Amino acid sequence: MALDIQPTRSELINLKRRIKQTQNGYKLLKMKRDGLFHEFRILLSKMVEAKRGLIDSYRLAKNQIALAAAIEGGLSVQSAALGNPVHPEVEVTRRNIMGVVVPEVKGTNLSLSLEQRGTGLIGGSAYIDEAADGYGELIVKIVKAAEMESTLKRLLVEIEATKRRVNALEFKVIPEMEEARDFIQLRLEEMEREETFRLKRFKNK
Amino acid sequence: MEIAVVGTSEFTLGFQLAGISHVHNASSDEEISGILRELLNDKEVGIVVVDSEILARMPERLRMRLSDSISPTVLGIGTEEDTSLRENIRKAIGVDLWK
Repeated sequence: MALDIQPTRSELINLKRRIKQTQNGYKLLKMKRDGLFHEFRILLSKMVEAKRGLIDSYRLAKNQIALAAAIEGGLSVQSAALGNPVHPEVEVTRRNIMGVVVPEVKGTNLSLSLEQRGTGLIGGSAYIDEAADGYGELIVKIVKAAEMESTLKRLLVEIEATKRRVNALEFKVIPEMEEARDFIQLRLEEMEREETFRLKRFKNK
Repeated sequence: MEIAVVGTSEFTLGFQLAGISHVHNASSDEEISGILRELLNDKEVGIVVVDSEILARMPERLRMRLSDSISPTVLGIGTEEDTSLRENIRKAIGVDLWK
């Protein structure tokens, strides 16, 4: 315990004010932590599902492209891949959740429709189209998952930091200040008693 | 902004088929890590898609930078469920909430 405190009245008043302030901050931080946690829980359950969906679609798309390559030949799949005139685009903006900056992703043309593809309606093959569909769906899911994953990571870092701060205040900073306050109070009372006793002795002489 | 795909040519082909033009084919890990470093500073790329197996083989520091980056956001995909996020959650909160 840090006892290099001056046991004076002004110090006591200062300390009392600081304790009050710190407790206020502690309450606020605790609310922030709970709020972050709430956001996190909601997002996490969505994320778990999205991740599973992502893996499933990836497997499906991989099978479809393997099938297309096996039936149409690898070269024609590659040539179909080269001719797309429209490209998926995403826009990443920043959003703020309780002081945490998270990305928000919006996509356009993520999954190309049959007419949008470069192969045309006649030139393409059904298997290649199916594979392209599969990957188009995969991209839609990727965009969603990417947004959620980095949001979760960021929230996690912030939750951890806030948790540490809350705990430090609760178990270290506030108790230490209260101890100091009690010490000063005790000292002041003792000094007062000494003073009265001195006066009594002075009067008796 | 664009979506970029980095990986072996088999990995990228399907994404090319779906219309993504920003594809980087690379076979060795060194090449891929070089490309990823470049993509991190690319303002035109919003999302980077990487094979999660390759991502796991990248050097530790690069992986940290990749996962910290907001724009672009890097996402590893693969057939196996990756446990890195789950592990992070367990570390930060103390409970395995991934269910």
